[in-house]
Amino acid sequence: MTPNPWTKHYPSEVSPELEPVSIRHLPDLIKESSQKYAKTTAFTQVMPNGMNGSLSYEQIDAYSNDFAAYLRDVLGLSQGARVAVQMPNCLAYPIVAFGVLKAGCVLVNTNPLYTAPEMIHQYSDSGAETLVVMDIFADRLEEVISKTGIKAVVTVKISEFFPRIVGGVIRGVQRYWSKTLPKITVEHTSFQTALAQGKDKKSPTSAEGYVDGITSESLAAIQYTGGTTGVSKGAMLSHGNLVYNTLQMISHCGTGMRQGVEVVLTALPLYHIFAFTVNLLGFYHVGARNILVPTPRPPSNLKRAFENYKITWLSGVNTLFNALLNERWFTESPPKHLRASAAGGMALQASVAERWREVTGTPIVEGYGLTESSPVLTFNPLTGMAKDGSIGIPVPSTEVRCVDESGTEVAIGEPGEIVARGPQIMLGYWQRPEDTRDTLRDGWLHTGDIAKMDSDGYFTIVDRKKDMILVSGFNVYPNEVEEQIAAVPGVLEVGVIGVADDRSGEKVQAYVVTTLQAPTADQILAHCRENLAAYKIPQSISFVDELPKSPIGKILRRELRDNVVSAISTEKGA
Amino acid sequence: MLNSLMILAAEAETQHQVVTPFEEALLAGLVFVIMFGLGSGLTPKDFKLALRRPQGLIIGWLTQFGIMPLVAYLLIVTLLFQDAIPREYAIPVALGALLMGAVPAGTTSNIFTYFSKGNLALSVVMTTNATLWAILMTPLALLFYGGLLAANNPDLEIPIRNIVLTLAILLVPVMFGMLIRRYSPNTGALLELMGGFFGLFFIVFLMVTWVPRNWNLLTSTPWQVYAVSIGLGLFGITIAYIIAKLIRVHPANARTIALETGIQNGPLAIAIITVTFSGSPALGEIMLVPAMYSLFIVIVSTIVTIFFRRANIAAEQKIPNLL
Repeated sequence: MTPNPWTKHYPSEVSPELEPVSIRHLPDLIKESSQKYAKTTAFTQVMPNGMNGSLSYEQIDAYSNDFAAYLRDVLGLSQGARVAVQMPNCLAYPIVAFGVLKAGCVLVNTNPLYTAPEMIHQYSDSGAETLVVMDIFADRLEEVISKTGIKAVVTVKISEFFPRIVGGVIRGVQRYWSKTLPKITVEHTSFQTALAQGKDKKSPTSAEGYVDGITSESLAAIQYTGGTTGVSKGAMLSHGNLVYNTLQMISHCGTGMRQGVEVVLTALPLYHIFAFTVNLLGFYHVGARNILVPTPRPPSNLKRAFENYKITWLSGVNTLFNALLNERWFTESPPKHLRASAAGGMALQASVAERWREVTGTPIVEGYGLTESSPVLTFNPLTGMAKDGSIGIPVPSTEVRCVDESGTEVAIGEPGEIVARGPQIMLGYWQRPEDTRDTLRDGWLHTGDIAKMDSDGYFTIVDRKKDMILVSGFNVYPNEVEEQIAAVPGVLEVGVIGVADDRSGEKVQAYVVTTLQAPTADQILAHCRENLAAYKIPQSISFVDELPKSPIGKILRRELRDNVVSAISTEKGA
Repeated sequence: MLNSLMILAAEAETQHQVVTPFEEALLAGLVFVIMFGLGSGLTPKDFKLALRRPQGLIIGWLTQFGIMPLVAYLLIVTLLFQDAIPREYAIPVALGALLMGAVPAGTTSNIFTYFSKGNLALSVVMTTNATLWAILMTPLALLFYGGLLAANNPDLEIPIRNIVLTLAILLVPVMFGMLIRRYSPNTGALLELMGGFFGLFFIVFLMVTWVPRNWNLLTSTPWQVYAVSIGLGLFGITIAYIIAKLIRVHPANARTIALETGIQNGPLAIAIITVTFSGSPALGEIMLVPAMYSLFIVIVSTIVTIFFRRANIAAEQKIPNLL
């Protein structure tokens, strides 16, 4: 077998290996585009009703310098101090994230929807000293702060950098109408005050000093993961990991990502690694205008963004694309300027991919990655051969293999666990040497995902190792069953899990959310019988109003399983 | 007894104008702002879509232009056109009631939808859609039910041409709103928000000025007129909710469709009347149901909203919607 058979499928302009780069760290990467595109609009935040605010590359650069100075010279943080950031997509996010990195500190992205115990775990585990949080989520702070090492809190408004009147109206609505502004009982500094204080302290040479000694090996971010598998662990991503992955992704897109002209819709949360690397770092580097949407749910929240801006790129997950395809305003007048869409985070269903192409007339390519790999490992080439249902080929300077239990590479077409090696693979799990040893073996990241590679070097995910259902000794992959059920007209979303069964060990159970034209369980089963082997056919189909989802919209099978288990134990208890 | 009350009412009315010129001007301005706000939420695409709108929104469209005029018609026949009420009084009141049933949904419905944890986006789309269709559907509904009523009441005349003209004039601020949004989405969004608030302002305005001034008129109004004014909104909401439940739409959407159907554009109906019937001696009677409807719909919607909120399980909406 030829090693790396995928290299011949890179588009002509893509080199299989990245050129060595002189960029030492993320502040270097950020500086480059900040100077090159200084006057261009970098970010526009769009509220569901169309209210918006914008900042240019130059402004982002200046404000993030101020914020770095605030962290280092006002709060007195040292290099490597962890700063937790907890907010939805908004104009303050890039300033805070870049500011933390420019200060030589470590970014700890936090899901704003976390409950107090989850926040306590993440802040104590990471040893965060400072928290930057959006005020609407500050109601849990009193409980959290006392149990963690957080010493300073900076609060951010959703309307930060909006025109004065518009910002005032949003504020008024939040305070008196929707009553979403909790009283903050802990000591805190407002974001604008922090920026002003940082600006006062800043000297022309301070910025260089903050990152003195920071190399590509230095820790840049602790990105928590495991929300879908169990206890939350912090993946340590270095400056080099993120710089390389950004450049790998851009290089892989070739001419698909044009310099200085793209308008990308960022509906996925930036605190998640997919949008962080692809939308924030990647599109910032090519001088794009980033349209930030604070929350894509319900999907009608994206309507004004699509109407008011000439969106050329969209990154998303299957759930988002599917949701848009079920919105009439979207399908009846799809975005005219769209050129390409990138899907990741979870399997892109063939039925969704086909309809997306049909409705928008533009390509949608699926990729694959993990938090542990910053995240991009593979992507279908934008120009050249894309294979539907596959996660594409590895990005430049990345090796991917499918291996068996003993670590030996399996034959072409055979399923095996994906392992990967490249400059984007994390340093390890924060303060968890055992987990690190389990996951990083001889420099290879063991992903826990089962895939097959074809003779062209394209990979196809079979499923998560842990989600596999064992029916009377046969392996059933939920993805395959979900894919079939999703193709039944009237099915909006589907989640398939295995539940314990006395007879077959485990049995297949499907949870279905339907549209208004709901199919019956018999219709779904009939479709399954035509397309799946008998043992893969669900034993029961439950119709539900909603499926549990992760912040980016990934359907959480673990929660489905937990719900089933708790339902059974309640039944037994009763 | 009732007849003498009628005479009393008629006398009270001649002593002062039911709607003063100042109120007329204010009303016109208000409707202008409301329509301006509505336009600020639209793009030319919305018109295109409204014209070739297939299934889905047809539900809303049917409830809007199917249920409400029918409810108004049935209420008129069963309550107003009875021997207890003199025909010369019943006819102008019926005209106002029918018009109230035939106008599209108002922006106020969006506010109640919000409080009922309904689908705000759907509410906005339905209001927009109904308003655009109104230019065709309102006159058609008036012609149809007006024709039915006129069969037994030759005195009943509906100035359709004037009404169409008024509706057409109202599209001018809508166009302006669209233009503004095109060049400044922020200003557009602000105007849109203002439009919704002005709808509420209108009702407050009615309560503090119009009600005390017309107290005699209101106290001498027969109970049947009250029943029509309250029943129009209440039955509209109930019937639409039952239909939405029967066809098994999502609970949040069922609440939205119900409110959207029952809550009509009161200011629009009153504006049409003041423009079309300016100077008519029957202006006061024609105005009666729209004015009373506008007052009572706030109370009806509030009660319905409380009911909806109680029925609404918190689990329906797990993700907090930012703004």
